Amino acid sequence: MAKTVVLLCNCFGEIGGVLPLEEIAGKLRESGDGLSAHVLPSLCMDRDAERMGTLLRDEGADSVVAGGCPSPARRETLRRALEIAGIDPARCAHVDLREGCAWIHRNDAAGAARKAADLLAMGLASLGERGTSPDVWTEVRPECLVVGAGPAGLAAASALARRGVTTHLVERSAQAGGMMNLLSRVYPGNEDGKSRIAPGVRELEENPRIVFHPRSRVLSVKGFAGDFKVLVQTADGPLHLRAGAVIVATGAGVFLPAKMYRYGELKQVITLMELERRWTRGIGEAKRFVFIQCVGARCPERPYCSTICCPSSLKNAVRVMEEIPGGEATVLHRDIMTPGAVLEKYYRKAMETGVRFVRFREDAPPEVTGSETVEEVRVRDAAGGKVWALPADAVVLATPLVPGMDNRSLKDLLGIELDGHGFFAETYPLHPLETRMDGIFIAGSARWPVSSEQAAAQGEGAAVKALGILVQGRVSALSLGRVPGRKLGHGRVEEGSCTGCGNCVAVCPFLACSLQDTGNGRLVSRVNKMRCKACGNCVSVCPNGTMQIPEHNYRMVGAMIRKAFSE
Amino acid sequence: MALSGEPLRPGGASPDVLVIGGGVAGILASLDLARAGRSVCLVERAPRPGGQVARLDKIYPTDHCAFCPLWTDVRECLDHPLVTVMTGARLETLRREGERWLAEILRTPPIIDEGLCIFCGRCVPACGEGAVSPLLDQAYPPVYRIDAGRCTGCAACASACPTGAIDFSRKDAAHRVSAGEVLWATGFREGDLRPLPEYGYGTHPDIMTSLEFEEWTAESGPNGGKLLRKSDGGTPSRVAFIQCAGARDLRMFPYCSAVCCMHALKQAQWLKRRNGELECTVYYTDLRAVGRDYYRYSKREPSGEAVRLVRGRPGLVFPLPGGGIAVKYEDTFRRDVRIERFDLVVLNGNLRPSLSPDREGDAPPVDREGFLDPAAGFGCGFAVEPGDIMDSAVQAAAAAMRILGRDKG
Repeated sequence: MAKTVVLLCNCFGEIGGVLPLEEIAGKLRESGDGLSAHVLPSLCMDRDAERMGTLLRDEGADSVVAGGCPSPARRETLRRALEIAGIDPARCAHVDLREGCAWIHRNDAAGAARKAADLLAMGLASLGERGTSPDVWTEVRPECLVVGAGPAGLAAASALARRGVTTHLVERSAQAGGMMNLLSRVYPGNEDGKSRIAPGVRELEENPRIVFHPRSRVLSVKGFAGDFKVLVQTADGPLHLRAGAVIVATGAGVFLPAKMYRYGELKQVITLMELERRWTRGIGEAKRFVFIQCVGARCPERPYCSTICCPSSLKNAVRVMEEIPGGEATVLHRDIMTPGAVLEKYYRKAMETGVRFVRFREDAPPEVTGSETVEEVRVRDAAGGKVWALPADAVVLATPLVPGMDNRSLKDLLGIELDGHGFFAETYPLHPLETRMDGIFIAGSARWPVSSEQAAAQGEGAAVKALGILVQGRVSALSLGRVPGRKLGHGRVEEGSCTGCGNCVAVCPFLACSLQDTGNGRLVSRVNKMRCKACGNCVSVCPNGTMQIPEHNYRMVGAMIRKAFSE
Repeated sequence: MALSGEPLRPGGASPDVLVIGGGVAGILASLDLARAGRSVCLVERAPRPGGQVARLDKIYPTDHCAFCPLWTDVRECLDHPLVTVMTGARLETLRREGERWLAEILRTPPIIDEGLCIFCGRCVPACGEGAVSPLLDQAYPPVYRIDAGRCTGCAACASACPTGAIDFSRKDAAHRVSAGEVLWATGFREGDLRPLPEYGYGTHPDIMTSLEFEEWTAESGPNGGKLLRKSDGGTPSRVAFIQCAGARDLRMFPYCSAVCCMHALKQAQWLKRRNGELECTVYYTDLRAVGRDYYRYSKREPSGEAVRLVRGRPGLVFPLPGGGIAVKYEDTFRRDVRIERFDLVVLNGNLRPSLSPDREGDAPPVDREGFLDPAAGFGCGFAVEPGDIMDSAVQAAAAAMRILGRDKG
């Protein structure tokens, strides 16, 4: 026999001083239906948990209406009491008797009492229709998938492998290291690109927990946080993997400045990447280097600062000054982007070594002159307007990193988001490595252009986020998400009335809804409880109310409204 | 989520990790460590966690309130069974003891116990000095606090309190914490700009630092989001933002504080969004809008008109006898020197790491600028390198992973 208990909080007189609580409780008891009602001095003091829990258990309650303040911050005690009595928290309706009743109608005690009775009746009516979402659990696969073996991916895989987590490192090319393989030196230190990634590569070679899949691509990712089912196309054929978490560290692409500043026409006009190669293969006779910043960046086509180009040019300009006898370096820029302490020091060092800086304005870019070979770079100095003619042996174009080619397809198969430029987007600035899909994390230049050092830090950061899932033996549908245990519930479909229209599938941001064949050719929607976040998008587009979140279904709201307007 | 009068949680006195500083970096690192199964003791000097981010009205580039998303993480930290949060707590000494760190922490319990406070507000009118007010303006339900400066100790509020939450007899308590590792997340504080007299800081109430300005104009602040002159409550029509005031300056802070360009653009755009007539001028050196969508943000025109940008660092800021503040500067593009009159002047760039180089004990060394040497100890956030919320969040996660990599447990 279902039994509902009403708990009324006196709130040290804050409520009882205005509302006739004993009278209200008496009327509730008389209304029958096996209802019992109690007035308590408070519901939220530490000592109340045990007292309320015992009371509810002794009464044999299976649902509760709690009339008190509306503050969720003060509900911890009641939650503990429900736990003691073995009642699902979803079977407890909260009714605001303080702020919305006793306080606001302090001068109208009779009106306040009527409103309180109405609100309590609505709370009781809601319980009649309110459902629950039983939790489901899944065993965690204590393995991780890392996509991309550049500095971010290597750092993530090494960190996880050192913690004993088997990590599948899927890399498109034949070797690990990504762009580090192309760099002669890496800022802000002065090591070469390969030594920057050497610790990661060593870990990869020596630690059997890193399973390296070179020349491989991820074809599909199904499942959910704790247990993703992954299909990888390797050099030896398709491979099925399972992993508790996924880290996307696929890096970025480079921008080719076709026809800009006569690139492709004069062979002395090169990109920063090509300069890196020249340092490795022999720098040649060039002595006078002019660097041009923001080539194809901070412009209408690519309205963003690529972050790494200023420090990269500074690094190379300093090297010209220090390593080439008689070398001269001039950096033409729109703003020098060296935020922070380390990079600003680097900028000062460049000035101290004699690198010249000339600022130009976006609407007056420099001009490269010469017919067969570069003669000069002419630039109008933003400071004062003087036009400089700088003789040059080499013009180095600082081009931005651009979103990786695979971002779009990867985004679709993972269900995560890209930003307006095409880089992988985080959920929120406070959670820069997290995506909207639980268990899928992003790191390195795949999410935004970063230095190798920053990429590695992000890789390690993503690794600890993955560990947060991987160390758990099992995860539950309601415990996934930012605030454990606070998820509302999950969507539920009445199979009998589902028409299989697919609206819910189209709007679900978490890829939780799918259409499945019932066996007789009829399609019905199914909700993956591990993926569902109870956002309710599906409910709002369901044409016939088949999709509901049991804790907040439309029948319940209807019952409350009917109660409110009935005599 | 009682903060006081509660024994330390299991592992609180002997945690795996002692995190010093409860700002965004410390909060996020503690959560990452706890989720990976490590016990954490988080020590915060202020009466509440949240650090500098909790002082912000809005955050860039989303333009959302800072408070709610931050508080979601703070609350998870307070509720996490593996995290002990000690607020109002100061690290007195720290030294090595064998394999562990031994910290002595002095904790000043709040006079109002949050665990007992039912937010009825009876204490507010009971106080004749107006010393009782909400601890966090944006938080609902409000958490009350007593302003020690105004409190006379009459305890009228304690008599008015129905639950006994207010207790003036709680004493400072010394705690000894033995931790496996120490993570420094001490963040930044504002440096004093008076040694640079040309900025005129301290000579007039309408010359403010940017964090003072943030509080002055906050929607939950003293004026409910309205922009007023601090001197006479009048309505300003021109506001100047001076970047790199104290920063990128070898006389004070040689480094770039990394957050000020976007912070000033955010403030200027919000002012213009609320009042399109207002003129906002940002005096900058390099406009460092480097993060995701920051450049786009810098180009926005919330009132159909962009914020005026002038490249130049003003050489003199001084109050005018007839009212208003004069700013003398060279526009380095035009190469001319001008003087303009403003109603309010906002100084940006006086952020310094909270750690000072002259600390005692076995704490790791900091460099001349006050930043923690990453090779000498674990750190994250502004304690290690200037950066914004996103940078701090990444560093926090990376530091958590490095700490986990140290032990084999």
